[in-house]
This record gives sequence, C-alpha cells and structure tokens, in this order.
Amino acid sequence: MLACLPAIGEGIYFRDKISWQSSIPASELVTVDRARAWGDGAIWVDARPDEEFARDHVPGAFSLNEDHWNELLPQFLPNWSPEKKVVVYCSAESCNAARDVAKRLRDEAQLKNVFVLQGGWEEWLKKSR
Amino acid sequence: MKTRILTFTLSIFLCVAARAELKWEQSTIDLHPSVSDKTAVAHFKYQNTGTTPVHFKSVKASCGCTTTQTQKEMVNPGEKGEIVATFTIGDRTGQQIKTVTVQTDDPNPAQATSILTLKATIPQSLDIKPAFVYWQSGEELKPKKISIKATKDFPAKNITVKSNSQNFESKVEPGSASGEWTIEVTPKDTSHPFGTALLVQTDYPKEAPKSFYVNLQVTNPPGAPPALKPNAPNAPAVKAATPPAIPKASPSAGVER
Repeated sequence: MLACLPAIGEGIYFRDKISWQSSIPASELVTVDRARAWGDGAIWVDARPDEEFARDHVPGAFSLNEDHWNELLPQFLPNWSPEKKVVVYCSAESCNAARDVAKRLRDEAQLKNVFVLQGGWEEWLKKSR
Repeated sequence: MKTRILTFTLSIFLCVAARAELKWEQSTIDLHPSVSDKTAVAHFKYQNTGTTPVHFKSVKASCGCTTTQTQKEMVNPGEKGEIVATFTIGDRTGQQIKTVTVQTDDPNPAQATSILTLKATIPQSLDIKPAFVYWQSGEELKPKKISIKATKDFPAKNITVKSNSQNFESKVEPGSASGEWTIEVTPKDTSHPFGTALLVQTDYPKEAPKSFYVNLQVTNPPGAPPALKPNAPNAPAVKAATPPAIPKASPSAGVER
C-alpha cells in the first residue's frame, strides 16, 4: 500500500502533463523491414503535410494527409487494389497523423490491410542509411 | 565555520526562495468550432507566480496542422501572458487532440516542461458509409449502396448527386427518417479499371451549402502494375498522373467528406 503512494502522487501531479496519444494495437503496426519485404504488394502512404512530402518521401509513396483529404483521397484510390497492403507513415514514432489517416482509410473508405509504419519516416531513413 | 554554515543556509534559502514558476490557467482547452470554421484557436493563459524570470526555450506543436505564438520570450515575476495555438481544421472530422510542448529554463525539471492540450470537436456533417465503393475488374455489374445520414449538427433536408462520368449510374432514395438517404450506384462496365467521384451537394448551411465526395472505382486486376509510376526519391509532390474525374462544387459551396 505504502509503495503505491509515490505513484499515486505522481499520477495526480502529472495529470495534465501526460500526452494524449493513444497507442496503436500491435496488429496494426508494421516494421520497416517487414513492410519492405512486401515489395510491390505494399502501397505506401505519406500522412505528413504537403511541404514535408515535397522535401522527401519513401520512393513510390502517395501523399494523403488530413489537410487536403478530399483532394488527395481520389488521387490515391486508383492506385489501390484489394490485395495490396497499405503502409501509412508520418514523421516519427511520436506523431499521430499516420494513425489518424489509417483510421480514416479503414472507417470511411473501408479498406482492409491498413498498417502504420513503426517509427515512421525517421525509422525508414535510419534503415536506409 | 560559522560563516560556512551561514553561507550554506543562505544558499539553501535562496534556492528555495528564488524560484520561477509558470502557472497555467488551463492546460487543456476544449474547442467546438462550427461547421463553417476553418481554424480553432486556443488561448493558454499563464502567470509567473515565482520570484525569478522564466524564459521560453521552445514551444512545439504535436502536428504540422497547429501553429503557436508566444507573445514574449521572457516572463517576469507576477507577469501574465498567453500562448496562442491555432489548429487548422483542413479536412479533419470528429475529435482532434493536439498538444503543445512548452520548455522553459525552470531549474525544476518537473516545472520546466508543460504539455498543453487542445481538444477540438469538429462537427461531423454527413455520415457517409462507405465513402468509397469499388468493383474488381471483370466483376458482375451489381449495384452497391451508400448510406448517407445528416448528423444533428448538420440539418440538411435535401441532397443532389452529380457525376462527370458516364460509366456509372446512380440514383438517390430517401431513407426511413428525415435527413437519411441511400445512393445506389451501378457501373456500366467493369472490363477495365477506372474511377470517378460522386459529388453530393446538400442544402445546408443556406448561405454556403456544403458538398461531399463519394469515390467510385473499378480496380486493377490482381497483380497489375499501379496506375501511376512510383515517385522517385526527392521527387516533387506528384500526387497523381491520372486522377479520376471529380465534378466541381459550386464556387460558394464548401466541400467536405
């Protein structure tokens, strides 16, 4: 009981300081190595803002962010087919954009096999060095 | 020896007394933008309740969609101010939670970092399910249904559906309740891949009625090359070479999904 006190105290003290980012279920995550192994069976989606996509992106990736969702979705869909796996990424582990875009692809477009890239663009760059 | 004890006691006292402390009026702000709002703005008010000045080292938003403005670099004891976080709604819907991480030079690590949270509830206008329907190449020419419901924040009474493509037939049927419709779409041909978007125009809000898109696609047969050539690394933001034909909304109308 006594051992719990510091944890409870910290919980109260940091109640407004914790991040709201909810974790993504493991089944919806994919590592860079695994996604790369899918080869042509995967379609890459860049959920970062337009400027970041313009600066650099995973070769072959399509830009699809929530700033211009209505404009970009109809441009992405002709490249999708049911047997393809969709790999969505944003800047890094800490960003939420990939999770949000993946959720909309599942919920609104009702696509299956949509994954979020673990570590995002940062991890992809690291593995590409 | 006495001097040493005095110096030690004094330095402890000074350490305790000379403290910087930024107190936030609210570290979480709930915002409820209207259907026509383009941005949601949160004002995070603070006061330095300590006895020494506080310097901002960095103020970072969790996403590119949020910009921040600090009025000053340094906050003197007793001084008040605010950090303004502007969230650009774009094409987002539902509850959006964005954070702003503020780093100050407060020697106490627990006080040096504050995480400010902006929760924006963006009203959902039309619930379109699914917003994308597809037929596989060679699939039977069977109709598919799209259900449309106006939410309580968006009391549309009528919709009209337009398409630029001659390759699909669509018809709209009113649903069982007011503000509900079903669109039935049938492709005329599934022998080759093509796509289009249906433009769903509403009668709400009256001054600038909103429009929405439903994407229709006859997909590539399995194993076929993609419709577009992949972008080379560092290539400019080429988003699509052959985007589907999208009917244009009237100039005054807002477009959403």
